[in-house]
Amino acid sequence: MTLLVLRKELLELRRSPVLLLSMASLPATVVIVPIALLAWVMHAAPEQALAFVTDVYGGQSIGAVLARNWLPMFLVLPIFLPILLAAQSIGGERERRTLEPLLATPASTLSIILGKSIAALVPAVLITWIAAALFCAGIDAVIGHSLLPDEAWLFGTLVLSPLLALFGNAMAVVVSSRVLDPRAAQNLAATTVLPLLGLLVVQLAGRIALGPRFYVVLALGVAFADVALVFVAVRLFDRERLLTKWR
Amino acid sequence: MAAIEVEGLTKSFGGRVACRDVTFSVGKGEIFGLLGPNGAGKTTTLRMLAGLYAPDAGTAVVAGIRIPGGPELRRRVGLLTEQPGFYDRLTARENLKYFADLEGSRRDRVQALLDRFALAEHADRPFAELSRGMKQKLAIARALVHEPEVIFLDEPTVGLDPEATREVRSVIAELSAEHATIILCTHHLDEVERLCSRAAFIAQRVVAVHEIRREDLLRIDLAAPFAPDGVRAMCKSLRSSGTSLFIEPLAQVPDIVAALVAAGARIEAVAPHRDPLEEAWLSLLADAREQGLTA
Repeated sequence: MTLLVLRKELLELRRSPVLLLSMASLPATVVIVPIALLAWVMHAAPEQALAFVTDVYGGQSIGAVLARNWLPMFLVLPIFLPILLAAQSIGGERERRTLEPLLATPASTLSIILGKSIAALVPAVLITWIAAALFCAGIDAVIGHSLLPDEAWLFGTLVLSPLLALFGNAMAVVVSSRVLDPRAAQNLAATTVLPLLGLLVVQLAGRIALGPRFYVVLALGVAFADVALVFVAVRLFDRERLLTKWR
Repeated sequence: MAAIEVEGLTKSFGGRVACRDVTFSVGKGEIFGLLGPNGAGKTTTLRMLAGLYAPDAGTAVVAGIRIPGGPELRRRVGLLTEQPGFYDRLTARENLKYFADLEGSRRDRVQALLDRFALAEHADRPFAELSRGMKQKLAIARALVHEPEVIFLDEPTVGLDPEATREVRSVIAELSAEHATIILCTHHLDEVERLCSRAAFIAQRVVAVHEIRREDLLRIDLAAPFAPDGVRAMCKSLRSSGTSLFIEPLAQVPDIVAALVAAGARIEAVAPHRDPLEEAWLSLLADAREQGLTA
C-alpha cells in the first residue's frame, strides 16, 4: 500500500512543473549567490581586505571560510523542501475532496503517511544532493583547487540531509494532520528551519565553529526525533476529525 | 437475510447531534433509499456504515461485519462520496487504477469498468478535463472496482445536468438488475420512487420506513363512509381514508365497483391513484419539525 501511495504521489508531482520549479528555486539561489559573490570578491576585493579575512579566520582563505560555513544552508534545504509537499499532503487531499475516498479504502494510516512522506523526501533529498554537488564544483572552480567536499560536507549531505528531510517532512505531516488549512500548516512547519538558520548566522558571525562532533550528535538527535515524529504522526492522524473539521 | 442491520446508531460532533437512534434494515439485493433534508444525518449514517466514523451508541452489521469494522469492512463496501474526489492531474484510468490497487482489485477490473461506463474513450484524459457526468460515472466505477457486497451512494445525481442525471440513474438501475445491495442517499423523491424498493425518512433519526409502490392504486370516492368488507377478497390491499377507498385490485375494476354497489355503497368517482411519496414525505417532515428533529 505504501508503494502505491508513493507511486501516485510521485506521478502527481511529475505532472506539476510549477511545484517542481518552486522546489528548485531556493536551492538554485543557495548555490548561485555564494559562488557569484565569492567570484566577485576574489576578483574585485583589494589584497589587504582578503588578507584581513584570512587573518580573522585563523589562516583560512575567504573561499574556505565561505565553503565550510555554508554547509548549514544545505541542512536547511532538506528540511524546508519536503515541507512544501508534505504540508499539502493531508490538507491538500481534504481540499480536493479526495481524502474521504482514500480513507474509505483498506489502506492503513501508516501506509498513507509513509507513502506521502517518502514521496516528499525523495525529491527533497535528490534536489539537495544535486545542489550540494553543484555548489562544491562551483566553489572549487572559483578558488582554483579542490576544497570541497570535505568530510563534514560528505557527512552533512549524505547522512544528515536525509535525516533532516525526514524530520521536516514528519513535522509537516504532524502539523498537516492537526492544522487543517494547508497554507497555515506550511507556515507552521516551516518554523522548524529556524534553529538551523540561527546556527548558520552564529557560525558565519564567527561565534562558533561547528565541527564533525556537532554533526554526529545532530545526526543521532535527528534520527531519534524522526522515529518519534513518525509515531506521533500516526497517532495524531484522526480519520473522523479530518473528515469533519474544517478549521 | 439482511445485508445491513442498523440498530440505534447515534453520533454527535462536539455536542451537536448528527443522528440519533437510527434503526433500519436492508435486505440482500435491495435498493434502499435514505431520504432526508440537508443536515438530517444521512451522510453521517452512511459514513458510519462505511467504517469511516465510529458510532457513539448503537450497532450496525454491514455485509456480516460489525461497524466500525476497519479494513475488512472497507474492503466489502463501496462508497460513492458526495463529491467525486479524484486527482486532477492524473488521467481517469490512472485515478481508477490507483483506487483499484489500494482495494486489491482484479487486474482486469479497471478496463472492464471503463468499458462498462463508456469511459474508455476518455480514459487517458486528465480527470480535470472530464465532464461532470463522466466524473460521476468514474466515481461510481471506483465504488464498484473491488466488487463490494454493499454499495453506498451519497447524493449520486447532485449537481448533474439532466443528461448526466439520466445516465447515472440508468447505471443505478443496471446495478439493481444485477441484485446489488445499495443504500441510496438522496433528497430527490423521484429518484427514490424510480429506483428503490423501500426508503427511510431520516431527520436525525429514522422517522419511518416507507414501501415504494410503483403500480397505480384505484381510488374510489364514496358519498358516505362505508365498511368495504365485501370486496376485500377482490383486493391485494385495501385502505380506507374518510369517504375514500384506496385499492390494489386483484379482480377487474368493474367487478369491484359492482360488488361495492351491490353491498350498498354509493360511489361518486373512480380513478387511478398513485400513492405519492411526496405526500408521505411532507407529512413526516412536518412531524419531524414538530418534534424538533429538523429545521
